[in-house]
Amino acid sequence: MSKEKSTNLKLNLTDILVTIVIALVFGLVFRLMGPVYDLVKPFGLHLDALLYGIWFIAAPFAALLIRKPGVAFLAETAAALAEMLFAGSGGVINLYYGLLQGAFSEAVFAAWRYKKFSLGVTSLSAFAALIASIILDAGYAYLPLLAGWNLTLYLVFRVIGSILLSGLFPYALVKGLEKTGVTQSLRPVTKEDYDVLN
Amino acid sequence: MDNVWASTNKLFFKINPSLKFLLISSLFIVYLFVQNLNTMIWASFFFLILYYLVSGLAGKWSFWFVFLTLIVSLFSASAMIMFGKGSHIIYHQSLILITQESLARGLLLGLRTFTFSLIGMIFATTTLPVPFFYSLMQQLKVPVRYAYGCLAAFRMIPIMAEEFLHIRQAMRVRGMTRQKGIKPLYERMNRYSLTMLAQSIRRAQRTAIAMEAKRFSMTERRTYYYEIGWSRIDLYFIVIMLLTVTLGFVFAAYFPLTPFTNVLDH
Repeated sequence: MSKEKSTNLKLNLTDILVTIVIALVFGLVFRLMGPVYDLVKPFGLHLDALLYGIWFIAAPFAALLIRKPGVAFLAETAAALAEMLFAGSGGVINLYYGLLQGAFSEAVFAAWRYKKFSLGVTSLSAFAALIASIILDAGYAYLPLLAGWNLTLYLVFRVIGSILLSGLFPYALVKGLEKTGVTQSLRPVTKEDYDVLN
Repeated sequence: MDNVWASTNKLFFKINPSLKFLLISSLFIVYLFVQNLNTMIWASFFFLILYYLVSGLAGKWSFWFVFLTLIVSLFSASAMIMFGKGSHIIYHQSLILITQESLARGLLLGLRTFTFSLIGMIFATTTLPVPFFYSLMQQLKVPVRYAYGCLAAFRMIPIMAEEFLHIRQAMRVRGMTRQKGIKPLYERMNRYSLTMLAQSIRRAQRTAIAMEAKRFSMTERRTYYYEIGWSRIDLYFIVIMLLTVTLGFVFAAYFPLTPFTNVLDH
């Protein structure tokens, strides 16, 4: 039984293609959001940090949809690569951010052994991606050298933004997609599905 | 999209895409550790020249692209300029505090983003998806399933664009676009996103099944329609990149434009 389960959770061609297509869609979204994000920056109150969360969405969305190991990482990386190929602002930086954010997001789903895909876990994965982005930003954007109140505002906005845009939003989207029925054929067969047959 | 490209025959289109990808990604590491404002000024200057020489974009597009990128990059540094730490005050009003140190740091950040964007654009405007993914499979040994997945996904972009237009037209025919307010807006967004996502997923599934039906193999050795190899141009490319990076450092050492040689000091 356990052997059957492990083969069951391996990615097949359908999973890979679906993940990459989704990643590409989000890559386009990232590309289009880039200028918007930069244009709200000069107001100085870090309204941009609220939008930052959208960049973590690919991983939790794909993981919720397909529910197999590796999907979150693949989605976030592919989305970052797509953004780079679409000549998004920042260029190659995106790829490094995508790799690390994907890995952190994936780690959260892995911690629950790909069995729990609740709103809480999804939000936590968005939060993990946020940690990844802050690690990179601390070195790249000299975050510690911002004035104290400004840095706090920045971090608070980022947390709110990431939970909303990459926790709640993908969860709601996948809930909507479940109603259309496309998700049924994507997910690994569970114990309950077998029980229905008996 | 055809008029966007000036010519796909330029030198940088002929470089091995994997080499281009690796070298350009490694530049991230190089400039991450640059804390000298002068180096960043000269580096962005030389990469701007390089971009104009090699870019595959047609002139008009190219100019606006660079211009917007520069503006946006400087915007992205605004927080550091206005709210950074520092002691030599230039301007102070309520919460805004511009100091020499934070200004230098902000400019460095802005120019770094600008340089990375330029490098990214050099890559993006001279790399076509098909040779890129073929090269990833052949030179970097990326598993065939991922590379072909990306190729198939790229083919779906025009279909998605068409689908988007169809949904919009359908909404217009039904008068949905004329309704104002939050609820109709939410309804429209919902219909766009869910419809397009559901259709994309179904399309990806169908494609995967079709590929497997035609014996697309995820594991076995395979042959390729395009063989991407190496040429003398790859050598030129390495020399050009090394020259550009070195020139930036050399000019910063001999012609410093600002006194900020380390923005983390002071």
